[in-house]
Amino acid sequence: MSAVALVAILATAVVVFVQRASPRWALIRDARPTARTDQAGVRARRELTQVLGQRKLFQKALPGAMHAFIFWGFLVLFPTIVEAMLAIVNPDWTLPIVGDTTWFAFLVDLFATMVAIGVGIAFYIRKVQRPDRFRGSHMDEADRILLTILSIVGTLLLWNAAQIALGTFAHPSAAPIADALSKLLGTGQPTETLERVFVWAHVLIVLAFLTYLPKSKHMHIITAAPNVYFAKNGPGGYLAPERIDLEGPEEDMRFGVGTAKDLSKKQLLDLFSCTECGRCQEVCPAWNTGKPLSPKLLIMDLRDHVAGIDPAAMAAGTVELQPLVPNAVTDEVVWDCVTCGACVRECPVDIEHVDAIVDLRRNLVMAESRFPTEAGTMLRGVEGPNQNPWGQPAATRTEWIGEIPVRVLQPGEQAPEYLFWVGCAGAFDERARQTTQSVARLLNAAGIEWAVLGPRERCTGDPARRMGHEYLFQMLAEQNVATFAEAGVQKIVATCAHCFNTLANEYPDYGAKLEVVHHTELLSHLIAGKRLLTTPAASGSVTYHDACYLGRHNGNYDAPRDLLGASGLTTTEMERARERSFCCGAGGARMWMEEGGDARINDTRFAEAAGTGAETVAVACPYCFVMLDDAAKAAGSEMRVADVATLLAEATLGEPGT
Amino acid sequence: MGAVWVYAEVTPEGPQAAALELLTKARTLGADVAAVALGPGASEAVAELGAHGATTVYANDEPVFADQPGRAAAHTLHALIGQHRPALILFASTYDARDVAGRLQALTGSTLMANATDVEGPTRARTEIFGGTKVVDVDLAGPEPRLVLVRPRSFVAEPSGGTATTVPVEVVIPGGATASVIERHAEAASGPKLEEANVVIAGGRGLGGPEPFAMLQELATAIGGAAVGASRAAVDAGWVPYSFQIGQTGKTVKPEIYIAAGISGALQHVVGMKGAKRIVAINKDADAPILRIADIAVIGDLFQIVPALTEEVRKRATS
Repeated sequence: MSAVALVAILATAVVVFVQRASPRWALIRDARPTARTDQAGVRARRELTQVLGQRKLFQKALPGAMHAFIFWGFLVLFPTIVEAMLAIVNPDWTLPIVGDTTWFAFLVDLFATMVAIGVGIAFYIRKVQRPDRFRGSHMDEADRILLTILSIVGTLLLWNAAQIALGTFAHPSAAPIADALSKLLGTGQPTETLERVFVWAHVLIVLAFLTYLPKSKHMHIITAAPNVYFAKNGPGGYLAPERIDLEGPEEDMRFGVGTAKDLSKKQLLDLFSCTECGRCQEVCPAWNTGKPLSPKLLIMDLRDHVAGIDPAAMAAGTVELQPLVPNAVTDEVVWDCVTCGACVRECPVDIEHVDAIVDLRRNLVMAESRFPTEAGTMLRGVEGPNQNPWGQPAATRTEWIGEIPVRVLQPGEQAPEYLFWVGCAGAFDERARQTTQSVARLLNAAGIEWAVLGPRERCTGDPARRMGHEYLFQMLAEQNVATFAEAGVQKIVATCAHCFNTLANEYPDYGAKLEVVHHTELLSHLIAGKRLLTTPAASGSVTYHDACYLGRHNGNYDAPRDLLGASGLTTTEMERARERSFCCGAGGARMWMEEGGDARINDTRFAEAAGTGAETVAVACPYCFVMLDDAAKAAGSEMRVADVATLLAEATLGEPGT
Repeated sequence: MGAVWVYAEVTPEGPQAAALELLTKARTLGADVAAVALGPGASEAVAELGAHGATTVYANDEPVFADQPGRAAAHTLHALIGQHRPALILFASTYDARDVAGRLQALTGSTLMANATDVEGPTRARTEIFGGTKVVDVDLAGPEPRLVLVRPRSFVAEPSGGTATTVPVEVVIPGGATASVIERHAEAASGPKLEEANVVIAGGRGLGGPEPFAMLQELATAIGGAAVGASRAAVDAGWVPYSFQIGQTGKTVKPEIYIAAGISGALQHVVGMKGAKRIVAINKDADAPILRIADIAVIGDLFQIVPALTEEVRKRATS
């Protein structure tokens, strides 16, 4: 009788689960593929560290412990669900291997208790600590889920306690918590009934939870592991190329993501993996300065929009799909992003917010020509005859040189060991030129063979690409790669973190075979190899601001700090440093847009730097330089902003011209 | 083929210039040309619309078209389309006409193309994308009439010398919720536009606050035909609104004379004013980059120099 009922309920639960999950599954199945199956070893390792090891969850200690207790608990307790079902059919049945063993009884008792403690911590975080990262999340849903989890382990412990009271539990001493609970129960008929009630309740709650899962944020227990597996390998700053085929059939043309059907499998899986934990929101420079963009709300809004679509109608083309912008998320949200990648780095389930935003921008820019108008000057400058964001005459790219001995590579000449990629900011911006000059003097002091392209250099296309103008980016990439090939360039040193990221990570897609280093890496390497002899003549205190595209996106945190040490400066760290650095506000082509919100990102970051009490804030990217220097001036601060290379050059070579 | 219509916006002062531009273009498309003029001033506009190529003008002078913007015109046009079945309707890309065109498209379900820069035929129009860097020709499909919003000043208005017959139009307004105009407020324009002024006086961080901009305005008034602008630093500080901003992410100006007061000359700013014929820079910092591109560099306190300059300009103007 019990067996029949159980099988019927189990079958119903599975059918309901499948039915409720199938629309989302169908969306993913029919979506555009993402090439994310290479380097299986790297992906498998991520499953070990990030899923099993809970690495990213432990970026926050207490929430990390909370989640790990519950997660590990359920891994261990999984066999008990089967055991409970077997016990319903026949109380004497157990699982092979684990059934009736001391060690498993002990583990079950321990981990069920840990899950309960985890739920307690979760309520403490949500009800007592109440962090702002939950703003906009579904709090009631979370409460329901947590209480369900608690009742699952609660009924398990009570079931075991009842068995102990009845004397049918093999090793009561191995399960101290259940044993303690058993003291509350008698040995007679009522307990026999209770034992059946608990085991049934346990199974029914588990199965009810199963049917609830597909349309809830708790679905991450199924989607998170594959989402982590299919996450981007390699540098976070890399953007996958959008194949633009203007001559091909119209159906094949796709400019970024316009409607739900343009989303890739991974992008959809991202949406169904979000648990609304808000770690991304907490670190987002836009959200923290009062702008509408929150990476969490972006994902939730896209998810809710996509979940409202009938996949069969979409596949059949019988439903008119609404554009995601502005129906799911507003234009403002899409343009607020600085592409700093702080959200992606925090996300425990590897959601790729930045790439999704760039895809939405691609559609707005390339299909609709819709973007903040003030950025048009930059796009025209990059495309125009001079091919730089400011539209400055290309001939003035060498103006910074002055009296410094610099070789400008002429057409037809072969490049020496290093090509120094000056970058547009480094060539034209008054402040960034200091960095360029400092690096040039240091390279000369180290006796490196190097040259610059001078007027033949052009924008790498980074600002156009981050704006979503993939077409313009690809044009520039192809032109630059052709210049490198013609001059036989093999090694490039760049001072701009954005140029560096594009040249090193993205140009290989366009046929470049280059060894690209950032100037801080090269200088650090030259010092280590005793080719550049330094004098720690500087004194005073400095704080270093990590550039997103150097640090978080490319993992270079130590070289700039080493150079500051070699200059003789004492470094004081900001609270948000290294992997958790807070953007200057210029990335994602935000440098070329006006900023709304309650505060400016650069002012916010500068205030943090000034708060260290250091005399200087050191930077390693011209964008950061301009943004923080503007903020220093706006604040009327005496704090100096300078590139690490300038500080090193001053300490080692003295003031320019001496 | 069906007729080409122009949605002609009219006021008691006459038809809008864009209506005459569109009629001039419509004449070249090889079809009957009609204009639709709705609201006060419609009847008076018939002659001028006819003189630019409309052979028929569907007109109605009811004030309801001005009082219920968009809605009244869209429904009336919709009924009119049902009777006469035009092939193409051209609208000027103005706030009001865009409202009408959008509502009309929702009623007809036909193709609506926005931001056109040229109309090459009854089923083809041209537009610009990527911030005006690429020109695209678009084929217009779908049921007639096709609706095209054309940017003003895309064509030059030329009279054809023709005359038009007036056809009265019945007002069609469905019941239900309406929005109506409750107040009109005309912004008084003072002085020339920043982009059009012969002389631009811009203030930067060196001004130290919003008040000194009055000092720049005094100089602008004394010179006459001059406009006041600002650097991003001054705008970000909240001293003047964004509409004052000159530079990479603000306005680009090319005046005869550009006076930069208390502006250091960051690249972001220089991009917006480097096209000026003569640059006068007033700055207390002798190393400010702006001084390097200035034709006249005045190193000193702008709070003394600007009033003295204003005084001198006034003196010379009166003598």
